Amino acid sequence: MTAKTDANGGYILQLQNFSVNDGNGIRTIIFMAGCPLRCAWCANPEGLTLKNPMTSYMTADRVIEKIKKQMIFYRHSKGGVTFSGGEATFQTEFLRSLVNRLYDMGIHLALETCGYFSFDAVCDILQKMDLIFMDCKLMDPRKHLRWTQKDNALIHENIKKTYALGIPMVLRIPTIVNVNADRDNMKETFSFIQQNVPDAQLEFLPYHQFGEEKYKQLGMPLPEKSFGTPEASLIEEFTELAHEYDIETVSYR
Amino acid sequence: MITPRIEKIRQNYVNAKPAISYDRALLWTESHKKTEGEAIPIRRAKAFYDTCAQLKLTIFEGELIVGATGEFRKCGILTPEFSWTWVDREMDHFDTRPQDPYVMTEEQRAFVRKNIFPYWKGKSLEESFLARLPKETAKVVVDTGIVDNDSKWRQAVGELTPDYQDVLFVKGFGGILKEAEEKYNALENTSVENAKKKEFYESVVWTSKGIILYANRYADLAFKMAEEEKDPVRKAELEQIGKNCRRVPAHPPTTFYEALQFIWFTQIGAILSENPLALNPGRFDQYMNPYYEADCKAGKITPGFAQELVDALWLKYSEWVWTISANTADFFAGYNQFQNLTVGGRTRDGRDATNAVTFMALKATEEVKTHQPGLSVRIHADAPQEFMDAVTHLVSVGTGFPAIHNDSVGYQMLLNVGYAPEDARDWSNCGCVVPHFRKTGEWTAAVNVNFGSALEFALNQGKTRLTDEKIGLDEKPMTEFASYEEVENAFYKQFANLCKHSVIATLEAQRLHQELVPRPFLSSCIEDCMEKGQDLSMGGAKYNIGPVITGIGLAVVANSLAAIKKLVFEEKIASSEEFSKAMAANWEGYDALRKLAQKAPKYGNDDDYVDSIAREICNFYYKEIHQYKDINGATFNTAFMGISNYLPMGKVLGATPCGRKAKEPSSEGVSPYVGTDTATPLAAMRSAAKMNQEMHSGGTLLNLRLNHDLVATKRGQANLGAMIQACFSLGAFHVQFNTISSEILKKAQKTPENYKDLLVRVAGYSTQFVNLSKSMQDAIIARTEHAEF
Repeated sequence: MTAKTDANGGYILQLQNFSVNDGNGIRTIIFMAGCPLRCAWCANPEGLTLKNPMTSYMTADRVIEKIKKQMIFYRHSKGGVTFSGGEATFQTEFLRSLVNRLYDMGIHLALETCGYFSFDAVCDILQKMDLIFMDCKLMDPRKHLRWTQKDNALIHENIKKTYALGIPMVLRIPTIVNVNADRDNMKETFSFIQQNVPDAQLEFLPYHQFGEEKYKQLGMPLPEKSFGTPEASLIEEFTELAHEYDIETVSYR
Repeated sequence: MITPRIEKIRQNYVNAKPAISYDRALLWTESHKKTEGEAIPIRRAKAFYDTCAQLKLTIFEGELIVGATGEFRKCGILTPEFSWTWVDREMDHFDTRPQDPYVMTEEQRAFVRKNIFPYWKGKSLEESFLARLPKETAKVVVDTGIVDNDSKWRQAVGELTPDYQDVLFVKGFGGILKEAEEKYNALENTSVENAKKKEFYESVVWTSKGIILYANRYADLAFKMAEEEKDPVRKAELEQIGKNCRRVPAHPPTTFYEALQFIWFTQIGAILSENPLALNPGRFDQYMNPYYEADCKAGKITPGFAQELVDALWLKYSEWVWTISANTADFFAGYNQFQNLTVGGRTRDGRDATNAVTFMALKATEEVKTHQPGLSVRIHADAPQEFMDAVTHLVSVGTGFPAIHNDSVGYQMLLNVGYAPEDARDWSNCGCVVPHFRKTGEWTAAVNVNFGSALEFALNQGKTRLTDEKIGLDEKPMTEFASYEEVENAFYKQFANLCKHSVIATLEAQRLHQELVPRPFLSSCIEDCMEKGQDLSMGGAKYNIGPVITGIGLAVVANSLAAIKKLVFEEKIASSEEFSKAMAANWEGYDALRKLAQKAPKYGNDDDYVDSIAREICNFYYKEIHQYKDINGATFNTAFMGISNYLPMGKVLGATPCGRKAKEPSSEGVSPYVGTDTATPLAAMRSAAKMNQEMHSGGTLLNLRLNHDLVATKRGQANLGAMIQACFSLGAFHVQFNTISSEILKKAQKTPENYKDLLVRVAGYSTQFVNLSKSMQDAIIARTEHAEF
């Protein structure tokens, strides 16, 4: 089906109920299609483009209808809806219409974003969030460009601006051996947090290879073999290091 | 943490093999030889007395609570007065049968064949039942797997909760004895009614004297062993045991310890009297907490010792082996005795009921990891957070316990069958998931009816697919159905017929129970029986609730009807003829059609297309069963319980239109068919909640598997608690979780010796995984494991 993405509907990878790792309580994660970045390690390659064999078009009405059935579980668990992707802000109008409607239903809302967006275009959406997860993948601009095909200056700017909205924020570091899981990058990240967004919380997301099957299904070349999952002890080490910078760490496990 | 002395008792228990003792059967038989011609209740009461007076007594090493039904640690007894023929037929293979094997030596077998069975020839309940049951009903219900009530004519009823609160702990059996004697003396045989009452009171005199004598013999034994004991610690323990047994159950208990010993003697009395299924301890935390508080206040007990004693009682509950036929064992797999113990909920006046003993009960199950008692919790909307935390923590340990029940739906289920609000609020579970109350006489698992058979008869001209026997009603060939409505009507016609035969078989069994196997000992544990001078079987209890008929295979039938409706009559992509041939061929050569059938809507995914079919079946079932009345004039009741009956009921079914192959398990309770609830557990809960559960007063059951990682953390457990509350606010009565990974279960299959105490949820109860047959184990592994993150 070809349809355009707008306030009436858009492309999603999946609407995943009974999720418990992206915010509090029992949640529904809306994985929205499309992404401006091209992270070499991406775990959801079907989210890179709007239309591909693994995405589907869904109207906003249909999404809301499905969410309504889950409200009883949100109510008891203090859960809600988390927008993710792909990049949740990529289909801005679709996102805006969903957010406005769910906001009016009194549902707890969270957003996961890579931070690569036009702040002015999504500011009103961000303001309706109860919790925002933002990625902070790599501090070195050259490395960031190499691994994601985009510069990180806009992302860092957006982290600061979003923080200024005063909404609880969790910065997430997808932690990948041979990409960013080194002390230098972590120290630089923590300094950035300390100086610019001191009250944001920090969560490490250890790299995993669960996405490989999807690459095969989509006929895409697999991510480099050199990407490695960090040992638990390494995450522990980074966590302690973060504490030295007075940064609070969290884990939704 | 479990203490070393409890761990020692536990190890002895875990490593013992279930064995059969004929001691009780022999004493019972010898007594009956001496009472020929006397009234049946008196004969049974005297047999009970003689058994109590002569049964070999054993105090096992290190025990703190004593009393055994025979010489073995895990001991099953024989009750030839109910049935001996199946024992005679099956006992040569007891040790090799796949489900629930027992040890029985050649010497023992020869002895019972020579000295016990001949006396009962022609006298047992089973023989009478089979002689009297109308032939057309027998064809449907006797060992067919289509309608099954063999536990009501090869076994005793059980299904009862002794009234500790208002009878036993208030009067003791000494008080009951005195009352029975007074009432007996106050009556003259000037009317038949009086004569019957006198008979009843006399029988209670005998049983009360019997149980008191049995306890005093234990007191003597304990004091004697204490005298000979060198170890001063054990010597003191034995002396205390002696004092306990001297006091209870003749007198009301004065301490927590005595109360626990009292409970176990009551269980023993019931076991010796009829070897009952589902002899429930009831609301343990409610009647035990006053003793605990008083002892703590008086400095008589420490929390640690109290916990040890509760642990010790749990081990005693687990030792008793319910001796059952291979057929019954398929339906009730895992040496389960269904002693359901309920904690939490609300008090009679509506306050939160949790107390210190509530938490001790949860802890005991975690510590000793025994399959008994069947631990149930009642959760109300305002349940304390500490209680929810303790419950979800126990779920995370992976024992399958506790069974989690909705307090208000249980209450509603009892109101619906006529209980006063205060009594309904005081409910506890019977067996697996039947809401129950202690002043009640009821058959809570009277019959199992195979919904799948009704569908099979509808689609196969009244015949079974596997044996080609004509057991159902006449029907035209499936290919001649012109519309979906015709298919549905054909199903309901066959279904109503099976309901009718369930009722006929139950009424016949009820009549025979009144005539042949009255229950004086258990009647004395129920308040109104003593007041009215009437046995339980005669309707002596305050509440006499109609027998519960359990429906098996709801999901299979709903899924099958949905597949036919969609593929044949709506989308017209398959014909009735193809379906008919495919099922006859057990799908061999019909892979494409089977794939379509498997993809059709499945119950358990919150899909109204199929869920509404399931709901309609439930509503029809309720109306159909409710038109019948039992021997006491009470309306028959419906349930969607589990037990393990979905296996034998699947074994007799051919292929079904939902895509299931012949002989594969059917579905349990209101649970989805294995592996087809592919959405989320939340969707499965929503589907189940659509079944108007509160009107099925015999209870409803929903089993789900959760990936252990989901509940490994405190946060995960909190979410589980919220999920349960959400499920209950939708109107579900029960939910229970298995949280053990398939990997661990597969390892346990390979090396059972390393997993002797691994508990899993079967259906309505938990039991040791290694004690299940291979097919039952596979069925549990096959349940969909929800691991969505």
